[in-house]
Amino acid sequence: MKISFRCNGKPMQLEISPETRALDVLRDTLGLTGVKEGCGKGECGACTVLVDGLPVSSCLLPAAKLEGTEVLTIEGLRKPDGSLHPLQQAFLDEGAVQCGFCTPGMIMSAKALLDETPRPQVEDIEEALSGNICRCTGYGKIVQAVMRAAEKSEEGRHDG
Amino acid sequence: MTGKELRIVGRRVRKVDGIELVTGQAKFTADMKLPGMLYGFARRAGQPAGKLEGVKKDEALKIPGVVDVLTAEDLPGPNLIGVLPPFDQPVLATGDIRYAGESVAFVVAETREAAKRGAAALDVRITEVPPILTVDEALGDGARKIHENGNITFSRKLIKGDADKALAEAPVVVENTYETSFQDHAYLEPETDLAVPGGDGRITVYASCQSPFHLRGLIAANLSVPAGRVKVVQSNTGGSFGGKDDVAVEIGILAAAAALRTGRPVLVAHERGESMVGSNLRHASRITITTGATKEGKIVARKIKIILDGGAYASESPFVVMKALIHAAGPYLIPHVFVESTAVYTNKTYAGAFRGFGVPQVTFASESQMDELAAKLGMNPLTLRKINALRPGDATATGQVFKQSVGLLQAIEILEKERLPEKPEDPSDRYLYGTGHSCMLQGISNGAEGVDVVGATVQVSQDGSALVGLGLTELGQGSRTVYAQIAAEELGIPLETVTVRQVDTDSVHDSGPTVASRSTTVGGMAVLKAAREVKESLLDMAALMLQTDKKEIYFQDGFAILSKNPDARIPLREVATAAYWTGHPLMHLAFSKAPEAKYDHDTHQGSIYIAYNFGAHRMSIRIDRWTGEVRVLEHLAAHDVGKVINPVGLEGQVEGGSLIGYGYAHMEKIEESRGIIRNANFADYAVPSIKDRIPTRTLVVEEANPTGPYGAKGVGEPPVAATAACFANAVSDALGVRFTRLPVTRQDILRALQSGAATHGGDKNG
Repeated sequence: MKISFRCNGKPMQLEISPETRALDVLRDTLGLTGVKEGCGKGECGACTVLVDGLPVSSCLLPAAKLEGTEVLTIEGLRKPDGSLHPLQQAFLDEGAVQCGFCTPGMIMSAKALLDETPRPQVEDIEEALSGNICRCTGYGKIVQAVMRAAEKSEEGRHDG
Repeated sequence: MTGKELRIVGRRVRKVDGIELVTGQAKFTADMKLPGMLYGFARRAGQPAGKLEGVKKDEALKIPGVVDVLTAEDLPGPNLIGVLPPFDQPVLATGDIRYAGESVAFVVAETREAAKRGAAALDVRITEVPPILTVDEALGDGARKIHENGNITFSRKLIKGDADKALAEAPVVVENTYETSFQDHAYLEPETDLAVPGGDGRITVYASCQSPFHLRGLIAANLSVPAGRVKVVQSNTGGSFGGKDDVAVEIGILAAAAALRTGRPVLVAHERGESMVGSNLRHASRITITTGATKEGKIVARKIKIILDGGAYASESPFVVMKALIHAAGPYLIPHVFVESTAVYTNKTYAGAFRGFGVPQVTFASESQMDELAAKLGMNPLTLRKINALRPGDATATGQVFKQSVGLLQAIEILEKERLPEKPEDPSDRYLYGTGHSCMLQGISNGAEGVDVVGATVQVSQDGSALVGLGLTELGQGSRTVYAQIAAEELGIPLETVTVRQVDTDSVHDSGPTVASRSTTVGGMAVLKAAREVKESLLDMAALMLQTDKKEIYFQDGFAILSKNPDARIPLREVATAAYWTGHPLMHLAFSKAPEAKYDHDTHQGSIYIAYNFGAHRMSIRIDRWTGEVRVLEHLAAHDVGKVINPVGLEGQVEGGSLIGYGYAHMEKIEESRGIIRNANFADYAVPSIKDRIPTRTLVVEEANPTGPYGAKGVGEPPVAATAACFANAVSDALGVRFTRLPVTRQDILRALQSGAATHGGDKNG
């Protein structure tokens, strides 16, 4: 079957077989390997991408459901000038990254949160990231990073 | 300005390999896709014990897309892997089935789905044998032998003084038995290897792994080719914690053998369930301790018996036995110690290396008993620990004396200065509060477990930048950043101009395994020495250029600078370029070799480790007596790390290790029945989520370690043990009942409250 959708701002038209997962289309067909597979069952969050702005486990999503949507992956997060998104910068600055395998999914879940709630409370962050497992960091620095990115984004808005 | 003070070491720096990770550009093994690549999938035994009668391949080969099926007889080599010879683990089963996750055949196909279907279609005949599922069964009279030599994997004793006599004379004695469960590493990236035939008689294996040279050696042996024909490249590795060694070897051999047979690249990417069932776990344990003390609280003797459930294969069991043996008496000055430590085979998933390596088990047991002793003596638990804490010049349980870098007392004193968190008003009387302490030690680097050498290269280019190479792997812990800091510090160049290369076995020296909290200490020392040797060469060149003695020159911010006139300076790129043209060496290979362990093998008395990390933790918790829910209000983690190289990395190691310890102590439990793991997924095996995180605060003691760079010593493993132990003590403090088995889950707590076992809680509202 044919599907068309937008991915990281670019129009895509693909021929897929109906049982294909969105994760496989993104990784294998489009080469967006920043989308990670950690469990294949929607339990770890490593494959999180934004579909029409909402965080989705792409391992559970049939690729056919991408039809007509706007998909954002970690690869689409950098600004046009190549500089890092405030969340990427904050994860780096705060030491919220260790092995980095959970990081793309974690950042995408955090992006969905900040788009909806620009000044989140700690509880909001816990709720938004509760489906993303990290085994390395202990999460403390991840919470700090999201807080810091929110502050930076806020400053950016006031400055701009 | 002399260039003597540290400018980069000790500074908070970002991970040098972080940008690729936050942008999704970093390539993990499964991110590579090569032309003609095949996918491999193993058929597992599915039952814990039996005789493999045969595997018929026909039905699998009929599945569209299936290219090849390998069974044991298709492997060109000995079909044997392990850590300490004689090896006992087949890559593909022959004859005996010893655990349910054992691979019996390996299917390669054009797609992952076809490989899976092929594996399911295989006709595998196994005659069932009653499995041996407990250590007691395994050790029982007349028990079936799981391996030819019986069911004892490895056993050792530590004997210092006369513990029996001292216990008989001790005025106060406490005794108890403690148990701990298996734990899964649960790194986010499941194990993945990709083997690529080179067409030149060589094969390259890209691996998510911890010890590339271990892979190279065992892959080559099992392919029956010289080691130099195999090149192992460590891809970005999504966590390891000790886990990606045996299993990375196993799937590396399977992928490589299939790649050679088919002439095509073969990828093996474990599914999450396979990662839990088919790769090693942390040993379950049963530990009995008797402690004797004076009425004033001086410990006079400890007698300890440790039994580790090692599952089906030896893996790292011999070394875990030794580590548990050496650490079981705790970080205390005790004149009489007797420890017996034994690993036992059972028909379960094999146990091996996992962050802490036997120390979390014995620390939980030992530190629980310290609290029991304090209660019996009517003494403050931290005071009891302080009285007995090892000090510089004291002999450890192995009789080893460290004259410096013994910072336990300082760690305890830091905790004493910290006020306990205030209890909020609680008119509903709904909550119980408790505080627990733990002290611990963790031997740094291999010590008695093996050779302790790291070879590192530092290469300076004509542009004045540096490339560092060594055989120890970055697994997320931040070792690349530490090495870059050390090279930048020594060479006086900006951190941004240092690159620490990916490990591949063609290009770096075998540095031994990346284990035992040794990267910073032994690896860092090798980088430091290599950098200093290159620097000497550059100083010779700079001295010629500045027409002075090289003692008058220092390097800083990328310049060679004259000490007495800092305005006289030459960019290091010019020095390096001149060095190139005049034949001054720009690259050096240097070795750090730790002093050899010297000890008596019957008593384990002698010098075992080059240093110990000492830790003291305190945890304050609140328990909801209606639901059993625990909230950690405060967690203080004080460690003597010798010298902090990167505070951000240190905090990351302490916070992350602490949460693994907390999960171990409170949440994580392998559910097994009849030899089959029933919760091999993240929905049923509870790894801590962001909502379960604990507020760990890292507190630093810096008692310089003479064997580490700038005095540093490792910290990767220690927080796991200390956190698990202080959690158990905090729960006991809150409830007034001692739990002797980890994990202490919310259900365990609720049961204690409801049954009336908890003397502090009771079932008032539940």
